[in-house]
Amino acid sequence: MIGTAPLLSVSNLTASVTTRRETIQAVRGIFFDIGANEAVGFVGESGCGKSVTAKALMRLSPEGASVTLGGKVGFMGQDLLARSEVEMRALRGRRIAMVFQDPMTSLNPVMSIAAQMGDMLRHHLGLSGKAARERCADLLDQVGIPDAARRLDDHPHQFSGGMRQRVMIAMAISCEPDLLIADEPTTALDVTVQAQILRLLLRLKEERGMALMLITHDFGVVAGMVDRVNVMYRGEIVEAGAIETVFAAPRHGYTRALLDAVPRLQSAGQTR
Amino acid sequence: MTRFVLGRLGWMLAILLTVSFVAFMMMRALPGDFAIAAAGSQSVAPEVLAAIRQELGLDRPLMSQYLAWLGHALVGDLGTSFVTRQPVRGELLDRLTVTVQLTLIAAIISMVMGVATGLAAARMRGAIDWIVRLYNGVMLAVPNYVVATLIVLLFGLYFPQISIFGYTPFLEDPLANIGSLLLPALALALAVSVTISENTRAAVLEVASQDFVMVARAKGLPPGTILRDYLVRNALTPVITATGLKVAALLGGSILVETIFAIPGMGQYLFDSINSRDYPVIQAIVLTASAIVVVVNTMIDIAYARVDARVTL
Amino acid sequence: MKAVSQESAEVTGSTAAKGSKRVTQGGVLLGIGLAMLATMLIVTIFAPFIAPFDPSATSPDSLAAASARHWLGTDSIGRDVLSRLIVGGRTTLLITITAVFIALVGGLVLGLLSGYLGGFVDDAIMRVLDVVFAFPVLLLAIAVVAALGPTVPNLILTIAIVYTPAMARVVRAPVLSVKQWDHVEAARSIGMSEFRLVLRHILPIVVSPILVATSLTLSQTIFTVTALSFLGLGPPPPDPNWGGMLSEARQFMELAPLTVIGPAAAIVFATLTFIVLANGLREVLDVGSSR
Repeated sequence: MIGTAPLLSVSNLTASVTTRRETIQAVRGIFFDIGANEAVGFVGESGCGKSVTAKALMRLSPEGASVTLGGKVGFMGQDLLARSEVEMRALRGRRIAMVFQDPMTSLNPVMSIAAQMGDMLRHHLGLSGKAARERCADLLDQVGIPDAARRLDDHPHQFSGGMRQRVMIAMAISCEPDLLIADEPTTALDVTVQAQILRLLLRLKEERGMALMLITHDFGVVAGMVDRVNVMYRGEIVEAGAIETVFAAPRHGYTRALLDAVPRLQSAGQTR
Repeated sequence: MTRFVLGRLGWMLAILLTVSFVAFMMMRALPGDFAIAAAGSQSVAPEVLAAIRQELGLDRPLMSQYLAWLGHALVGDLGTSFVTRQPVRGELLDRLTVTVQLTLIAAIISMVMGVATGLAAARMRGAIDWIVRLYNGVMLAVPNYVVATLIVLLFGLYFPQISIFGYTPFLEDPLANIGSLLLPALALALAVSVTISENTRAAVLEVASQDFVMVARAKGLPPGTILRDYLVRNALTPVITATGLKVAALLGGSILVETIFAIPGMGQYLFDSINSRDYPVIQAIVLTASAIVVVVNTMIDIAYARVDARVTL
Repeated sequence: MKAVSQESAEVTGSTAAKGSKRVTQGGVLLGIGLAMLATMLIVTIFAPFIAPFDPSATSPDSLAAASARHWLGTDSIGRDVLSRLIVGGRTTLLITITAVFIALVGGLVLGLLSGYLGGFVDDAIMRVLDVVFAFPVLLLAIAVVAALGPTVPNLILTIAIVYTPAMARVVRAPVLSVKQWDHVEAARSIGMSEFRLVLRHILPIVVSPILVATSLTLSQTIFTVTALSFLGLGPPPPDPNWGGMLSEARQFMELAPLTVIGPAAAIVFATLTFIVLANGLREVLDVGSSR
């Protein structure tokens, strides 16, 4: 949207990840924007730096590694890289939320669903008790979990993979974030469930006017989901543009390779 | 699940029976000695010996002796001491109470120390991690009776005015009771706390690297909440069950520590009765101690299976 | 894609570095452990030549402090502490190593049989061993030694019996997993005899965890042996032994702390040796952490 300041504006983001054994330059200076109600895709193979980028936006570092960030991450007028940890905690979950890849390991096994969703609501919105439970039930309902009110006290192991991912999504949108980051949200799911989850994400984005950052290694996932796409390779964005353009005329050799990797069924409405 | 529980309980009974059998057989390995020991002296007239043998049923087949003994044991009659000529049961219960107190305090100390150091090492890493691991590594090599002896030495050299031996019953003086058990419990607890510490550290490290902890951070939760609800709650379950299994170690170690600190517990009872060849007492102690260990272990197995099933489902 | 394979090479390179780093750390531990073990073995094997005094020789110079003559002082009847420690180590280590060796053999046989034959035999053997496993080690050892009498052979036998189940368990686990492996099936299909199968395919897998377990058991056995002798159930006098020395020293320990510290240090040193060895072996041989 020309003329409106973008919700997220990333300039020259660099990230180097240091584990006990080595230091890797995971992100080598990338630039991108995401507008207020835009859906932007990030496509690349494992190790290209897309997940590190996503976590960098929220200043999350994996356990056992330290991440050094450089550049500027403009979000709603502030530079996130200059915020203190306490300030970031206020933003995480509240303004920027994330949906993770593996629903089987992303939920706390010893807490009930209501408790896990509730602690977020309590921390960010001050909701507790009955109000919180109602909100949880409502959210679960919105993501398509049947019989939501009765399942509030269930534990994660009582849900299937697809259901758990819906719970994760419910948790992520519970505080009405402005930006939702979905990091490989369907990779660990059955093929039949993948489409459902993607449709759910798209619908929620439209309903709530959220921005969506969709990260995947599969071009087939971003098709029909995003307005623009960035292709990442080895820490850099090698191609960017409107989704139709990139699909129709990929300029970079790597993009072409990724597109070729998407299995195609013979279908009349398919591009290329 | 019920099948599993029943299976474990059945197995437990089988082990208990075998244990009782072995305990019994061990003492009857030398029947001649048995009668002499019952008599209390070596130089006893053969007729007296024969009478004793008959009274104790030593002339009957071994199996029927065992069954008789077992039968008595199941209703609480653990025989009569050769030395005191009193029923074993009374003394055993008194002693058991003392040992249980000691073991309980030791268990609490070891858990507190172990979890605290393990948690600190796992969360703070760096120098603290190093120190804790070094301490754990070295302490693992120091047996509990060595620790106990060194403690006594320390107090003897630098605090000779403090009396560290002996035991005061709880009902007599609760504070003195705990005081008298504190040092021996500490000696007992040190080695076990090291294991708990390592377990805790490993468990916390493992849990911290799990996805749901990262998710908790992405939700913006404060670190205290994450520590409590996400890290500790998940890490502690395996630690607690592992600790429960250490009951055997604590019981075994109590023998040594009781001797050193002059605590009249089951350990000392066993020791004294071995020295005085008081076979009925030895049998009773071995049976009771093993029974306790087997029962506790089985209970923990069952409890752990329940938690584990829920988590892995 | 050339660029992609370059990245993989980067990843591989770093893994190799990681591997060698691990070997070095484990290697250090192993080296230290072996050095400690060598020290102990040399001292105990050459004990009669190294010990400055006859360990049983009493003297009027009792409870002496450390001096040039008596490096660790003397005990309550004037015997040289250092000499007693050196000679005492002999008996302790003899019992320990022999007992663990027997447990090892027993455990190997039972574990191999149990794991390899599987089914009913496996069940039966494991159940019997479970019973022994259920006892607290010290309690069992005390009871058996009390019944049979505290002689050196009895001690060795008791300890061997007590630790056999643990060894058998350690052997059984890799055997069970190896049985399923494809190359074992392949070997069997070309008609290799069962015996050779065990020897060439199964035994090597078993060796690593066995070495680690043996070392750990040795450290635990030192504890049990010295504990037994502490309680007076060890080798009878005049054989000096560390546990017994510690116990005797309690009477006058404020007057001569070295009579306590000496045997304490020796016990800790011996135990530490095997623990360090076990950890070093575990790192170097890359034994699974599920022990």
